[in-house]
Amino acid sequence: MATENPNADGFGEVSRVRGIAFEYLSFGASVFGLVALGVLLVYVAIDAFDLANASPEWLLTYFLTLVVPFIVFCLYSANDRDVTRRALVALGGGLVAVAVLFSAIEALLVPIPRLNWQLAYLFVVAAPVTAYLAYVGSGGRVGAVGFGLLGRLVGGAALGLAVGTLFLVFDSLVWFLAYTLGVLPAVGLYAFGRVRESPRARTAATPVGLVGLTAAVFLRDVIATYPSDLIIYLWTIAVPVAAAGALLVADRRGRVAAAAVGGVPLAAATAGGFLAAGAGLPAPTVLLAIALTGVPTAVYVSRVVDGGEGLAGLGLPLLLAAGAIAGALIVEALGVPAPNPWLDASFLSEAPSRTPSEAGLYPAIVGSVIIIAMVAVLSFALGVGTSVFLEEYTPGTGPLGTLTRILQVNIANLAAVPSVVYGLLGLGLFANLLGLGIGTAVTAALTLSLLILPITIISAQEAIRSVPDDLRRGSDAMGATRWQTTKNVVLPEAMPGILTGTILALGRAIGETAPLIMIGAATTVFRAPDSLFSRFSAMPMQIYTWAGFPQADFRYGVVAAGVITLLIILVGMNGTAILLRNRAERGS
Amino acid sequence: MTDSTESPDLTRRGGLTRLKEGTYGGLFAACAAITLLTTAAIFVTLLSDAVVFFRSISIVEFLTGTNWSPNPAGGGQAFGIIPLLIGTLTVTITAAFISIPIGTLTAIYLSEYATPNARSILKPLLEILAGIPTVVYGYFALVYVTPALKATLFPEMSTFNALAASIMVGIMTIPMVSSISEDAMSAVPDELRQAGYGLGATKFEVSTGIVVPASISGIASSYILAVSRAIGETMIVVVAMGAQARMPEVQQALFGIPFVNPADVLLQSGMTITVAMVQITGGDLTGGTLPYNSMFALGLALFAVTLVMNVISDIIAQRYREEY
Repeated sequence: MATENPNADGFGEVSRVRGIAFEYLSFGASVFGLVALGVLLVYVAIDAFDLANASPEWLLTYFLTLVVPFIVFCLYSANDRDVTRRALVALGGGLVAVAVLFSAIEALLVPIPRLNWQLAYLFVVAAPVTAYLAYVGSGGRVGAVGFGLLGRLVGGAALGLAVGTLFLVFDSLVWFLAYTLGVLPAVGLYAFGRVRESPRARTAATPVGLVGLTAAVFLRDVIATYPSDLIIYLWTIAVPVAAAGALLVADRRGRVAAAAVGGVPLAAATAGGFLAAGAGLPAPTVLLAIALTGVPTAVYVSRVVDGGEGLAGLGLPLLLAAGAIAGALIVEALGVPAPNPWLDASFLSEAPSRTPSEAGLYPAIVGSVIIIAMVAVLSFALGVGTSVFLEEYTPGTGPLGTLTRILQVNIANLAAVPSVVYGLLGLGLFANLLGLGIGTAVTAALTLSLLILPITIISAQEAIRSVPDDLRRGSDAMGATRWQTTKNVVLPEAMPGILTGTILALGRAIGETAPLIMIGAATTVFRAPDSLFSRFSAMPMQIYTWAGFPQADFRYGVVAAGVITLLIILVGMNGTAILLRNRAERGS
Repeated sequence: MTDSTESPDLTRRGGLTRLKEGTYGGLFAACAAITLLTTAAIFVTLLSDAVVFFRSISIVEFLTGTNWSPNPAGGGQAFGIIPLLIGTLTVTITAAFISIPIGTLTAIYLSEYATPNARSILKPLLEILAGIPTVVYGYFALVYVTPALKATLFPEMSTFNALAASIMVGIMTIPMVSSISEDAMSAVPDELRQAGYGLGATKFEVSTGIVVPASISGIASSYILAVSRAIGETMIVVVAMGAQARMPEVQQALFGIPFVNPADVLLQSGMTITVAMVQITGGDLTGGTLPYNSMFALGLALFAVTLVMNVISDIIAQRYREEY
């Protein structure tokens, strides 16, 4: 075009090369970090599961029994010809492309360490395609039901294990008394007040509960005989959870269904608990895991059956379990050599050791769970309190407005203080000055709570700010006081956002290592902590310790398993947070 | 926000209600006060032990000393911060060489080139980079990055080195640069872009010639924040960089110009301020010893530097922001 007029001194002559090059350069920059992280994660996964030593037959067996059925399930749920065609093309074409490209690179350029083309195919093609199909499949009703059920099974089991872990440290007898004398009467009074519309009963609930809790603490040492731990957990956790599940169902589906939803998991949990006790397993944990998995699952199944849509999705857990068993049987029958993963059940249930093959993460996991539970309570309470004060209780102008701005700037600055400095604060203030002890769980929890407090506050403020002002005005107009408006209108609306922010902040706390080192957390403990003031270790702390060991088995095996465990827990927490947010967004 | 609750009180409230209101207001105020107390506690904790430290070691000696050995096996203790500063600067600058160009390009891509769909996928994915625990990054640097670099580019590299650690710190701070810069770029009004196109500019010229200059204050503040984060980064350097406080060897180039071979600094072990603090925790933590107090002096230095950088970043973002 422009060349038609050579006199114009290049007017209108625009080079597209520079623009296109820049666009691709900037795109490359955006994915650079992600690709680098992806490669590293692939390697750490290979190391943790010892996939480098997995024979192709082994990979093929599990690919056929686990991955293929899952993909078929997702395609069935998506029910979209276009998606099916694209998925098959990607999986098939990817197989050829990866095999050819990989062999070419190996032959012509450099050998790629600890990877073969089968693994490359799994990670580069199969994993992303499966993830994409899972995303598409969850859009269909069948897929949504399947993933919902799977999530409840996994989440319930994780919750049960976590609660069981907490009772290693917290006194179950105090909890038994507190529940029986405080929680139960208070909840009962409150429910009575709701049903009979008696405000007096509802007002009485809080004082009665407090009196009961106080009495529990004082009576702890007075009472001599207690029921066994198993009975305590059955009475204080399994029964109320089952009752709550039954109540949820009773409204819609009548008494029989409600009794089934509450009774079946309860019976299963009781039976599981006593069987485990007989078999020498930690019975209370088994009981809690079954109860907390069973009740939400039963409620969900009942709801799906009631809705009558996507019933096929309920088969997903069975499909996966059957696939895993079939894979194991085939591997056994054909005598295919199986890899020896570092991350296995004994890694999660045993204590650390100087011998790589015997090293385990159990005490560190317990330490992390206990710390995070305390951090969750502390930072949630402080974060909500502060953000409510800043958003609801202080005006934008006047001396109080200035105070608000100072607080705001202060919080922003606290968010940027290096975590190692918080560690010094914990060491100087909590451990030494207040005498909570060097390297104890309490010190760690307080330090980490302060560390994530600014993040919690900022996200809670955003959640509160996003509550429409009309709702507040409406509440005010009906004569509600400020606290009543906050309690009945603002907080319920903002709660999903606040919870999301808190869980994301907890994800930060669970991976923090530097403050733990500074407060003198133990590098290695061989027993799970049994009190809040005992020395403890945490997952990142243990990873740090192991990474310093020179043996290759530690560097490339044990630490990789620890890293994968930590990352899976992080993904689980963040996934929960994102699900919460999405559900809240859909709801409003 | 809710000035309207000061509207006339139509129902006469009983004493119990008023007591309840006061209690909850007080509780929330107490929660807010804790954030102020935290800042005060950090100041006091750091300062009180640092003051004790500076009674035995003068500030001048601390700031100009070229030897750091708090727990020597035989010889005398020495508390000179210079080798630690060199280590910290090495990591920070190298990391900035990665995070600043990549982060800026990412921000430009997200704000100017990416389709809304691509942006909605890329942005949360990039946040993952900042969410991975730093000890995991340190492990990656030690176990995967260092051997890879050793096998390909730098055979003479030591197992613990500054380069691998800095690369990981750089990758970790990419989202810090990109998200703040992208916010600033997205805030540039579309009229400016349209005016650029109206003058015949290409998309490349609009992006680099209009959007970037118009959002330069936000971009600059994001750089400072990322650098401040790199300065305070602990676990990556602790795991991957080793703990050897040393002064780089100054060589004489032509005409006697002194210079330091970058390979000498980058490919060898080193020590940052944060590593020095972590190393001291291996000893006695009950307090009262000189190394214990020196930890707080280092913490004070770190706290002061990051605080000043954050304030500067804030001032740049606020004061030099172009208002549209």
